[in-house]
Amino acid sequence: MTLPKGFGSSGAGGASSSDVEKMIGRRVENMTGMITISYIAAWLATFGGTAAGYFYYPWAYPTNSGHFAFIVLTIIEAIGYLFCVKVMEEGSKKNSNGIVAATLAATAVGTVLIVLFVGH
Amino acid sequence: MAQMPALIPKEVEIQRLKKIWLIVIAMGSTAASVEVDNFVDGSLHQTSIRDSAFTPAHWWLYSHFITLPLGWAAAAIYDRKVPVLRGPNNSINTGLKMTILGYLATMFTIGVNEMWHFWFVEEIFAVPNHWMFNMGVVVAFMGALAYVVRVYARLVELGAETPGENPYVAEMYKMALEGKLYSRAIP
Repeated sequence: MTLPKGFGSSGAGGASSSDVEKMIGRRVENMTGMITISYIAAWLATFGGTAAGYFYYPWAYPTNSGHFAFIVLTIIEAIGYLFCVKVMEEGSKKNSNGIVAATLAATAVGTVLIVLFVGH
Repeated sequence: MAQMPALIPKEVEIQRLKKIWLIVIAMGSTAASVEVDNFVDGSLHQTSIRDSAFTPAHWWLYSHFITLPLGWAAAAIYDRKVPVLRGPNNSINTGLKMTILGYLATMFTIGVNEMWHFWFVEEIFAVPNHWMFNMGVVVAFMGALAYVVRVYARLVELGAETPGENPYVAEMYKMALEGKLYSRAIP
C-alpha cells in the first residue's frame, strides 16, 4: 500500500498502528462532547430565531406559531443529536447514554419552560 | 457485493466515512425542519399574499439554501480523503457534482425570483420564475441521495453498518457499490 508522505517506516512495509492513528486524527467515538455542544448551540439558535419572529414580526408570526415551530424543531434536532452520538459510538466500547439522556432531558424541560413563560 | 480495492486502511476509511455521515445527519435534520416550514410558509401566505424575503417563515425556508450547500461543500472537501468515493478520472463524486449544480441553479434563481416578484406580486407555486428553483432543488436532492447511498453501502461493505433487510433496498446498495445506481457508465 502506498502511504502519504511522512507515514510508514523507512523502506518497504505497510502502515503500522501508529500510522493508522495519525491518519485518523480524532476518532468519531470521542466526538460526543463536540456533538453535544453543537446540539445545544443549535437548540439555542432555534429559540433565538423563533423569538426574533414573534418579538419583531408578531403580525406575521404569532407567539403560538413560534412556539409550535420551536417544539417541532427541538424534536427534529434531538433525533439528529441522538443519531449522531449512537452512530459514532456503535462498534466501539464507548457509551455516552448518560450524557445523551441528561442533555435531551434538559432541553425538553427548557423547551417546556420557554413555551410556558416567554413571549406572552 | 462487489469488492472495492483497499487504498487506505479499513479502520481509517470507516472513521472518515463516519465523519462524512455526521455532516449528512446534520443536513438531514435541516432538511426535515424545512419540510415543517413548508406548512409555516403556506400558512403565512394565506394571510399575507406577497411579503418580503425577510419575514420569519422565509428566514427558516431560505436558511437551508445556505446550510445545505455549505454542508455539501464541507462533505465535498473532506470526501477527497476517501478514494472509493472519487468520480471518473479522480474527479469529484458524481452525486456531489449533481448536488452542487442543483444548488447553483437554486442560488441563481433566488435572484431571478426577487426580480420577478418586484413587478408581479402573486405567489403561485407554478409561476416560471420558480421553475429552475424547484428543479434545482430536485437535482440537488437526487445527487445527494446517490452520494448518501454510496457512503452507506461502503460502510456496509466494510462491516461497519448492517445491510438493509428489504431486498429492494439491498439491491439499490449493491448497484451503488457497482457504480450502477444512475448508469452503467458513470461510477
